[in-house]
Amino acid sequence: MKIILPCSTINMMSGDPVSISQILDQLCINPSEVIVSRNGKLVPEDAVAGGDDEIRIIRIAHGG
Amino acid sequence: MLCAEPPVIRLREPDRHLCAAHLIADVEKRAARTIRERELIKPHDRIAVAFSGGKDSTALLVTLSRLLPSWEDVSLVAITVDEGIAGYRDDTIRAAEEVTKKLRTEHVCISFTDLVGDDLDALLVGRETQACSVCGILRRKALSVAAQKAGATKIATGHNLDDEAQSVLMNTLRGDLPRLVRTSDADSSDCFIPRIKPLADIAEKEIAAYLFVQDLFPFLPECPYTRYALRLEVRSMLSAMEQKHPGTMRNLIKSKRAIEKHVGRRVMSEPLRRCRECGDPCSGELCQVCTLRKSLGK
Ligand SMILES: [Zn+2]
Ligand SMILES: [Zn+2]
Repeated sequence: MKIILPCSTINMMSGDPVSISQILDQLCINPSEVIVSRNGKLVPEDAVAGGDDEIRIIRIAHGG
Repeated sequence: MLCAEPPVIRLREPDRHLCAAHLIADVEKRAARTIRERELIKPHDRIAVAFSGGKDSTALLVTLSRLLPSWEDVSLVAITVDEGIAGYRDDTIRAAEEVTKKLRTEHVCISFTDLVGDDLDALLVGRETQACSVCGILRRKALSVAAQKAGATKIATGHNLDDEAQSVLMNTLRGDLPRLVRTSDADSSDCFIPRIKPLADIAEKEIAAYLFVQDLFPFLPECPYTRYALRLEVRSMLSAMEQKHPGTMRNLIKSKRAIEKHVGRRVMSEPLRRCRECGDPCSGELCQVCTLRKSLGK
């Protein structure tokens, strides 16, 4: 599984099924400060990712 | 779950999963309700939308232009303030222009250079830590100048639920009671044009998701001066609290409203005075803009 971090760094993780909130937890990212897409589609934190999924974590910039 | 489509977000109070279409409908319905309940928009209003091209103001402009047909003879004009922040503003202004073109909204720009003869970067040399307050004062002024010129009857800003909760906590931490009770929509008209915040009941994350599912999320950098701001500390503290204790932000705003009810009028009742330099309404001898101009030697 491929994880794209807010800074655009790419992390590879094993393909075992895991929830988005567990991924964020491991990375010490507060879920309310980001939105997360799985293969380009937005998903809630209780969605499960695994296999070859591409997970993108997008930081919500303050303001605007 | 409201339907069989894949959910894109989980919301609390009430706990629910929404698909993209239901999320869009939910955000727009709640903005419409805020506007109706607080009577933010009336027939024949001309709304100046403070539009930076960032996520909050993009969501505001999209929402208002969708709701526009439901109001009698209301028009919108988007106003973009160019503070002059190198490496940040150019991209956001380009993003802003694309959105107004897509929505076919009237759009005007005003720069700090138009207003005080210098851009923000030049004004801030040696005083970077004051960035957000200097910028805030001038942006407010630029907006009301441009709104007045465009014939607007209201100024709409993209402040969301998180912003509102952060402001309550920041003003409390600073011990600033007058500002604590002055920030709600009805009372914040320090210029001639009343200000409204149609997204004040919608969380920052919902706004980001609302835009993302419509391919409208602006992938833009954070303002480079933000790192100097107290707001950033308050923001991460509050979002951690909200995560652990859902409802924290709403409760903060509720407390503020309760305080407002009891003391608001009393704090506000100082007679309105006029700035001796420019004649704008203000609370002291000099308005904030003229005070700032003096201290900058402008
Ligand atoms: Zn749905
Ligand atoms: Zn003045």
